[in-house]
Amino acid sequence: MLKHRSLWFQTLGLLLAMTALAAAQDYPSKPVRVIVPFPPGAINDSVGRMVANHLSARLNKQFIVENRAGAGGVVGAELVANAPKDGHTLLVVSLAITVNPWLYALPYDHAKAWAPVAVVATAPNVIAVHPDLPAQSVRELIALAKERPGKLQYGSSGVGTFLHLGPELFKIMAGVDILHVPYRGAAPAMIDVIGGRTQMAFASIPSAIVHLRSGKLRALGVGATERSAHLPDVPTVSESGLPGYEAANWIGIVAPAGTPPEIVARLHKEISAMQESPETLKQLANEGASVLQMSSADFGKFIASETAKWGRVVKEAGIKAE
Amino acid sequence: MDLFNNLIFGFSVALSLQNLFYCFVGVLVGTLIGVLPGIGPLGTIAILLPITYSVSPVAAMIMLAGIYYGAQYGGSTSAILVNLPGETSAVVTCIDGYQMAQQGRAGPALAIAAIGSFFAGTVGTLLIALFGPPLADIALKFGAPEYFALMLMGLVAAAVLAEGDMAKSIAMVVMGLLLGIVGTDVNTGAQRFSFGIFELTDGIGFIVVAVGVFAVGEIINNLGDKQERRVLSTKLSSLFPSRQDLRQSWGPILRGTGLGCFFGVLPGTGPAIASFSSYMLEKKLAKDPDRFGKGAIEGVAGPEAANNADAQCKFIPMLTLGLPASGVMALMLGALTIQGIQPGPQVMTQRPELFWGLIASMWIGNLMLVVLNLPLIGLWVKLLQVPYRLLFPAIMAFSAIGIFSVNNSGFEIHLTALFGVLGFMWMRLGFPLAPMLLGFVLGPLMEEYLRRAMLMSGGDPLVFVTRPISAGFIIVTVLILVVMIVPAVRKRRAVIAD
Repeated sequence: MLKHRSLWFQTLGLLLAMTALAAAQDYPSKPVRVIVPFPPGAINDSVGRMVANHLSARLNKQFIVENRAGAGGVVGAELVANAPKDGHTLLVVSLAITVNPWLYALPYDHAKAWAPVAVVATAPNVIAVHPDLPAQSVRELIALAKERPGKLQYGSSGVGTFLHLGPELFKIMAGVDILHVPYRGAAPAMIDVIGGRTQMAFASIPSAIVHLRSGKLRALGVGATERSAHLPDVPTVSESGLPGYEAANWIGIVAPAGTPPEIVARLHKEISAMQESPETLKQLANEGASVLQMSSADFGKFIASETAKWGRVVKEAGIKAE
Repeated sequence: MDLFNNLIFGFSVALSLQNLFYCFVGVLVGTLIGVLPGIGPLGTIAILLPITYSVSPVAAMIMLAGIYYGAQYGGSTSAILVNLPGETSAVVTCIDGYQMAQQGRAGPALAIAAIGSFFAGTVGTLLIALFGPPLADIALKFGAPEYFALMLMGLVAAAVLAEGDMAKSIAMVVMGLLLGIVGTDVNTGAQRFSFGIFELTDGIGFIVVAVGVFAVGEIINNLGDKQERRVLSTKLSSLFPSRQDLRQSWGPILRGTGLGCFFGVLPGTGPAIASFSSYMLEKKLAKDPDRFGKGAIEGVAGPEAANNADAQCKFIPMLTLGLPASGVMALMLGALTIQGIQPGPQVMTQRPELFWGLIASMWIGNLMLVVLNLPLIGLWVKLLQVPYRLLFPAIMAFSAIGIFSVNNSGFEIHLTALFGVLGFMWMRLGFPLAPMLLGFVLGPLMEEYLRRAMLMSGGDPLVFVTRPISAGFIIVTVLILVVMIVPAVRKRRAVIAD
């Protein structure tokens, strides 16, 4: 009896595997929607378009980028979480997706909603200060902030954004108090640092690099384990005075949970191939980003660890959205 | 004469066959997307950006810039013809431009919009060429207190300029302010009036409100009338502005250009503020302000010039400092860096062919737009002779497509429909729409700047008067109030004495 049942299950399993395989072979059977949960121009958008163009060319069906902005990416994520699990709807995710569970009452279950496909790129932050600020290193910045608690100010692109969480992590680790001044987007925040009205921003490299090169801003450290190829002279924050500090935005692709693993594997393979082309490296370099590669399973673990890391920051810094 | 040589050099770059071609493609695409609401230069440039990798940086920038200012031209066309603001900045043009079209004067309205825009574009181009870098430094001097004081001045000026039913105007400003509050509070991240709807967390889109109250509201209003629209019965006047039109327009065009250049240099002012300011100024200066809102050509000429000058001058902080004033400028900046060019003062010396070529191409592009638009006026005006029962479904369809494209979602379309009904009600009850939109534009910005100024100064209100630029605006604001209120009080006293 038991034997029969196991045989029965084996046959069923084989059948299921075959239909899944068939589905994967047919894939994509129609145009694929690539949802970017931010407006055009954001790094998610440009990386998403890069991936979509590559997949369109490789899989002979159009991968169409759709911008579905709103609520820090929740609107677009909800759409994909509830989409058919057939690989024809993909989501371009970034660090924001690991922050949102701590800020909003999400309309989907972040822990269970995703079938991670591949992480594409990573882009660390850079501590960019006004040139008149006396601190010449992260160590001196921490000393200065301790001397004048709550007096130094940093600009961010809004509550709960990467430009807000990076410095909050810094404040927790260094035990300092720096005032948060939120803006609508990174550009106005940078203007006030350059104008000397705020003293610093923990900016993304592309939004700061022009000003770092022209001397209107000065870089104290890069929030990564290694120096950035774009700013080879700038030490990492760890080197410069706050060991272990790491804050990098990242961009990846996920599908809704339950998408056939064959399709996920296929997409992962194609994206990995894209990551090795020199053209990709060059385009990412222009975004201040570099390639980050890991297996789909590791990407899943990565999302979980990032979610935990930023959750702690949100709680300890007392960040609230609602 | 360095400037002269530089400009000649720029023209030699821009007039190459390839660059002329990209310039033409850019302004043509720009005009088309400008006519449609919602589909704006931001989305278009984002989609076209990857294509530009393969062309030379100069050609790429020329095309992208063409899309950007081409859209400003196209936006006014649909505003004048069918009350449909194709771009945010064309909202003000709806007010008097559409009335002119209703009176059979669509031709002169379109022509003066094109002429005003061309003049402003020329001045804007010259300004970038002559004073780009020094002007850009002004942008850096404006912080939260300066912007707040500037906008306070604007709002006070608008309030004292309002005539007609004062209570209704104020009610509508407040309505606009309230609508502007919807969404996430910048300072705390708190949700305001979003009712748990995630689509509302980023606020209500300006284009949604504008298309709703103007285009959709007008359609409901027209369908409510028993007879067909009057356009057919009114005799179409000449397609081109009369001598009197031109005489009435040159002042507003000059002033509008000035205002537009001023606001254009400041990255933090947001869209539509230049055209609103110009409209209010012209209304104030006019001998009979009553004509405004009823088809005054000054109400088209001034704002259109202001809008184009503003668009052109937004390039100054972007090119010379690498500071983007808007999403579109941020994308252009991205396009430049992708091409391996670092914007900044050194662009002029390190990449002169790019800087001067782009500037020359802007002027050529503006010329192309006039050449493209003037002959089209006859065609556009004929469009109005299409029976309304055919025209209004088309307007609705284009509005819906455009609004949908903003965020690829149906939510915005429902919201537009709601604002259509509200717009219709306001129109019927005689509530003016312009103050509402002004409140909607200025309110959130003023709140943001006021609170940021307070946050950064540690809650010290003196920050507005201790900083020279801000203090200047506050003084002017007080002067406006005094100048406006004193005669009014005297008049009332005289009336009482009688």
